[in-house]
Amino acid sequence: MSHAGLRMSTNEKEFIVAAIREEQRIDGRTPFDYRRLQIKFLKEDGSVEVQLGQTRVLAVVKGEITQPYPDRGNEGSLAIFTEFSPMGDPAFEPGRPSEMAVELGRIIDRGLRESRAVDTESLCILSGRSVWSIRVDIHILDNYGNLVDAANLAALAALLSYRRPECTVGGDDGQQIIVHPPEVREPVGLIIHHLPIAVTFAFFGDGNFQVLDPNLKEEEVMGGRITITINSQGEICAVQKGGGVGVSASEVMRCLRIAAAKAQSMTETLKKAVEIHEIERAQRKIRRHPNLQNQIDTASSVPNPIKKIEVEMEETSEDIEPKQALDTERGIKDLSMSDSSRMKSTETEVAETLTEKPSRAGGRDLFAGGESAWGDDVKLTPLKGSPGTRSTLFPLDSDALVEFDVAARAVLRGGVSSQRMSSKLVSEPLQRQISDQIAAAAVYANQTSPLISEDARPLGPIFPRVGDMDSTEESDAALETKSCKLFHYAIAGFVQTTSN
Amino acid sequence: MVMAKVEVGAAPSLNVAERADGRSASQLRPLSLSRGLLTRAHGSATWSQENTTVLAAVYGPKPAAMKKENAERAIIEVVWRAKSGLSGSYEKDAEVVVRRSLEYIILTALHPNTAISVILQVINDDGSLLACAMNAACAALVDAGIPLNGLLSAVSCGVTHDGQVFLDPTKPEEQKCKAYVSFVFPSRRLSAVPELPADVDGEPVEYGILTSVTRGAMEVEEYFSCVENCRAAAAKVSEFSRSSIEQSLKGNRDGC
Repeated sequence: MSHAGLRMSTNEKEFIVAAIREEQRIDGRTPFDYRRLQIKFLKEDGSVEVQLGQTRVLAVVKGEITQPYPDRGNEGSLAIFTEFSPMGDPAFEPGRPSEMAVELGRIIDRGLRESRAVDTESLCILSGRSVWSIRVDIHILDNYGNLVDAANLAALAALLSYRRPECTVGGDDGQQIIVHPPEVREPVGLIIHHLPIAVTFAFFGDGNFQVLDPNLKEEEVMGGRITITINSQGEICAVQKGGGVGVSASEVMRCLRIAAAKAQSMTETLKKAVEIHEIERAQRKIRRHPNLQNQIDTASSVPNPIKKIEVEMEETSEDIEPKQALDTERGIKDLSMSDSSRMKSTETEVAETLTEKPSRAGGRDLFAGGESAWGDDVKLTPLKGSPGTRSTLFPLDSDALVEFDVAARAVLRGGVSSQRMSSKLVSEPLQRQISDQIAAAAVYANQTSPLISEDARPLGPIFPRVGDMDSTEESDAALETKSCKLFHYAIAGFVQTTSN
Repeated sequence: MVMAKVEVGAAPSLNVAERADGRSASQLRPLSLSRGLLTRAHGSATWSQENTTVLAAVYGPKPAAMKKENAERAIIEVVWRAKSGLSGSYEKDAEVVVRRSLEYIILTALHPNTAISVILQVINDDGSLLACAMNAACAALVDAGIPLNGLLSAVSCGVTHDGQVFLDPTKPEEQKCKAYVSFVFPSRRLSAVPELPADVDGEPVEYGILTSVTRGAMEVEEYFSCVENCRAAAAKVSEFSRSSIEQSLKGNRDGC
């Protein structure tokens, strides 16, 4: 199996074979070890780059609506195109595919298409008229041996991550196909029944020495090769042994058994990688809503929320001494001058959006978050990890938020513990809720060191210890700010838990 | 190859069109360059303009096919591989454009009877594809150590139907605008060949347009406005690619 373009000395060739007889490989692997596998999903759905050691393969899946084959009217089609680009190897010439390219294309084709791994009946739109035609293009970027296995994996990963636009049949005559753009309806994936994994062995000597996943140099000196396409259920989809040194049947059986085991572990790896990609994809979709961020930015111009709270304060602060009530009002006015007014108004904004059904978010999840307003220096782990931030926080509607604010201030001002909270301040069921919240926030405060940041982020990890606050020492304005922050913190905690 | 002497007044101020990714009209997308990714290729580079990514590989100087070789200089072969589908006329056209631009910077006379192959693989196309590919090819040539007399910097820009010029269009923007154009400017601080003039007719060589490819029809004034805007942007692109290459080279020297 000589390889044009790679010139190896006789010494090197003999060394490789001699080493394999001793079950040593030149790159340090054991005979039945795969090289390091990296599956990278690119930005577009259905594009995957697989790196097996130094071999790199790019697979791209594209779908198109076409007419079906006349004898298969209600089935879509899957076609695999392998182009040996001259990028991968100086020996690859542009133009006519070499026999290696043809062989590779056929092995993958048989493994994927003829084993019916991809369900083609689900690709039918209008029987006999329109079907989806799926095309897989495999580009060899770097040839460092065992292109078949890498290309097969790339094709599988690409098919698993590909999403075709959803289409419905409608119109007056029921014959019109409407293709929905991805913004309107979520594109749908292909139905894949099983994953045929290609496992390649190289033979040396008289065929009695085999290695798995030969690299370029081993391919240069090998006597023969066998590729077994098998899935994790142990079903053999294809076997290809094209010429080369004769191998005994028992050796072939041994290879089959090893291939079955390798296919299982490879399937696991592939599924895990696809899963991680799916999660990232979903997260990206959630984060991609600039609407909410714009609202937060413009909320500072909205005077109403501040006014609303002011009014509430006047009403419910009966039990608090009149002086303090006045101070509270003044405090609010001070706040509206300072940056934290923006925080306050955004709080209510966020609360409102949380409780409303988010029609702005296009009917998606409850929390349609925009870009995180938290910078890189904000550590999120303390927020997520501490018990105060877990499920003890309940969703509060805007009224409850206001009441919570009141209660929080009362706690801070008078050092009132949650049990001693006057029942006139808050209603019974809400009291329990709020006391839990305050307790949670207090627990948090005592656990973590204060991360005071004076910037005007709408939600920030700013929480001084509850015990540190002594109402006699600090000015009312400062206290206002702090209670504001306590309030914000609890919301931040809630927001964090919902967005996870 | 287009050399144009442009006499323009002050660049017209750009109106900020409402772009989907929030950029202003004169803002480029974030650029990224990584070199030396492939093992078989003599030089390789990936150039990304946010979502548009092109991988370029260079082999050479290597023996040329008998019928193509030139006894006086190296021949340059360019292969453009689309992401999906068969190679059609767009790919052939792009190959010619890239080859002619590269012929300007590669010192082909140093390697007669050889071939220098540049292979471009489109990884993702989100607008400004030709500019991205040109930048990638130039970086791959540097990675391969091919002797060059300067670098290239390519930028593209579009013109809206009401005459506003905006830089670095994305694919949807390219489809919606009236016309878009890709420019390639030489980026040369010191010429490797001192005999070559540092300026042409009083204008520094770096201001000359090496390549200009337009799609769609635009007015003459709009074209000149595009040239002005792209020139300024190309200076930034050139700065970025130089500093990126210098950094990685410095790393190499320390590493080995």
